Amino acid sequence: MSILAYNGAAIIGMSGKDCVGIASDNRLGIQYETVAMDFKKVFKMNDRLFVGLAGLATDVQTLDQLLRFRMNLYELREERTMSPQVFTNLLSNMLYEKRFGPYFCEPVIAGLDEKGQPHLSTMDLIGAISSAKDFVVAGTCEGNLYGM
Amino acid sequence: MARRYDSSTTTFSPEGRLHQVEYAIEAINNAGTSVGILAKDGVVMASEKKITSGLLAKARTSEKTYKLCPHATCSVAGLTADANILIDQARLRAARYAYQYQEPIPLESLVEHVCNYKQAYTQYGGLRPFGVAFLFAGYDEAHGFQLYQSDPSGNYSGWKATVIGANNQAGKSLLKTEYGVSKKKDGDDEMKTEDDVPALTDAVIEMPDVAEACRLAVKVLNKTMDGAVASAEKLELFTMSLDEDGNCVHKILTEEEAKAVIAEVEAESASAGDT
Repeated sequence: MSILAYNGAAIIGMSGKDCVGIASDNRLGIQYETVAMDFKKVFKMNDRLFVGLAGLATDVQTLDQLLRFRMNLYELREERTMSPQVFTNLLSNMLYEKRFGPYFCEPVIAGLDEKGQPHLSTMDLIGAISSAKDFVVAGTCEGNLYGM
Repeated sequence: MARRYDSSTTTFSPEGRLHQVEYAIEAINNAGTSVGILAKDGVVMASEKKITSGLLAKARTSEKTYKLCPHATCSVAGLTADANILIDQARLRAARYAYQYQEPIPLESLVEHVCNYKQAYTQYGGLRPFGVAFLFAGYDEAHGFQLYQSDPSGNYSGWKATVIGANNQAGKSLLKTEYGVSKKKDGDDEMKTEDDVPALTDAVIEMPDVAEACRLAVKVLNKTMDGAVASAEKLELFTMSLDEDGNCVHKILTEEEAKAVIAEVEAESASAGDT
């Protein structure tokens, strides 16, 4: 079984008129056995930014903690909130830093930019960004989420 | 005389002093005053903004008060450039602690970290000390609201109320007579001197609330600013308190709110009459 599928996840982010939504499942499994149904995978970063993390559970939690660390320092130093675009670039940079020993995690970023316009993006585990206007997906059943 | 032992931080003088550290402290006594007061429901820090030129662009949010983490803020007296380095150190330390333990850093630990960093510049060669004194205001679950002061030597201490920067002795003597003393004893109308004041034990002190502490802070700045009445534009009033959910609220008062406090202080001193 692939390491990215070890714990399991399904995340989808979608845009609407001046709004975005993000959804995930709550399952934590160890291979085929379900161990918990209250495992958090979507995290609020600030009032206009959510990130969903699909992949190995330990990396989901670690990345959440690391992102919080980086965001807090940014807000203290810059005295402004981080925009979704900047956040996407930061996360991409953090993932690529571990190019040869990556975090097994594929994020989904959903937020509203400074003008209130939706921002959706996803990336692979080493930080290659894909942005979309309509929806972004990640997880073990990516194909199903796309609608195949 | 002392000259031979002046230039190196890493040398004691024969009297057992570190002259460079003392000179650093001197630098701070020329800087804008900062007063910190511990209240029962929060902490107040008021600072004098030294307006050097009308042409200066407006500072982003502050030149004296800096947030370090969700539960701590500091106020600076001294060389701003030096302060910036230390503030960043403090922010990093608080953030790394929170990352490692998933818990807010105890305030004293944060202060100690900054002070240990400062101390290194008084013992390891080639570098001068930081010309900055700080007031740290913060909250943690173990000890509630706290106020600390630190100086270039790397020394720190916890206070109920204290002053740093220009004329801090005048400010401190005012605090000695007025902090926590809300009623006069035996209807005594005489002006209190330092000898009259009872020992400031916990039994005698009645901690002010944040509003009262703000007024006292403005009073102190009035005194340290050579009697020139503190105006809202020269003053920066900061308060820290808890909201209903138990989260720390860091607030720098707006000009209107600061003007209101100044007006209250003026009214108080006018009604108190001449003594």
